[in-house]
Amino acid sequence: MPETMSDTTPTRGYTDDQKYQIFNKEFMPHIDSMYNFAFRLTMDEDDANDLVQDTYLKAFRFISSFEQGTNAKAWLFRILKNSFINDYRKKSKEPAKVDYQDVETTYNSEDSETEHTVDLRAETVSDLIGDEVATALNSLPVDFRTVIILCDIEGFTYEEMAKILDIPIGTVRSRLHRARNLLKEKLRDYAASMGYNENIDE
Amino acid sequence: MQTSLPKLPSQIPTSLKHTCEHQADCLKFIQMVLDGAATEKDLDQLQRNLESCQPCIQMYHLEKEVKALLQNRMEKRCCPEQLIESIRTRIATFS
Repeated sequence: MPETMSDTTPTRGYTDDQKYQIFNKEFMPHIDSMYNFAFRLTMDEDDANDLVQDTYLKAFRFISSFEQGTNAKAWLFRILKNSFINDYRKKSKEPAKVDYQDVETTYNSEDSETEHTVDLRAETVSDLIGDEVATALNSLPVDFRTVIILCDIEGFTYEEMAKILDIPIGTVRSRLHRARNLLKEKLRDYAASMGYNENIDE
Repeated sequence: MQTSLPKLPSQIPTSLKHTCEHQADCLKFIQMVLDGAATEKDLDQLQRNLESCQPCIQMYHLEKEVKALLQNRMEKRCCPEQLIESIRTRIATFS
């Protein structure tokens, strides 16, 4: 996979038939995952449609830089992520937009190392439903949301995530760690507001 | 790379450690195990912690539960048929 993810991969001379075959056999099976990723990034159906279409057209146009039999899903996710950053992020309808750098700085500070555990019970989490988790996830800054989607929902390895996001594995790990702490804080606040965690001793 | 998740003790151990000064490190470690990115040696270490350390047991259950929630309870949409058709049509006229 490493080769296919780089921008300097030598192009392969596929025939037109081979191109369509790769597209149908290796790219199209991932379209539901791609659509869900696009929807969770943009949080808008029309934008998700456009983003998926753009990604698949780009994938076909640059198919000669894809090495058949390598990780097509990671290759496609990387194109989608780059399209999102370049074309959609500016106009995204994200509520309460937070600059990632601010968040990274805040959570990189000394405090984040000492304040590591979130007071949340596993039993409380198991009472939550999908909608509530989705709301909490959507309230995270997009870079934090992205690592959780890639790791926990799509099941990519750290190495694949590093390639998709163009960041070192160490950064994947630490961003994921911070993203999860943020998510747990959101879930805890939500559970507290719903009174889920009260009456335990009664 | 690890090939399985740690086994939880069937009985609640009698002498548990109730506080732990390594909690921040243990949490990172627990997440790596649940992500399938730890070594067998790391896994053995966590296995021992799960038999002796209350904070590790709690963190392990919480992290596992949050991950399961994300894996299993989030709505998964299907890509609209219309979009699939549109992509196929555009591709067919490409070359």
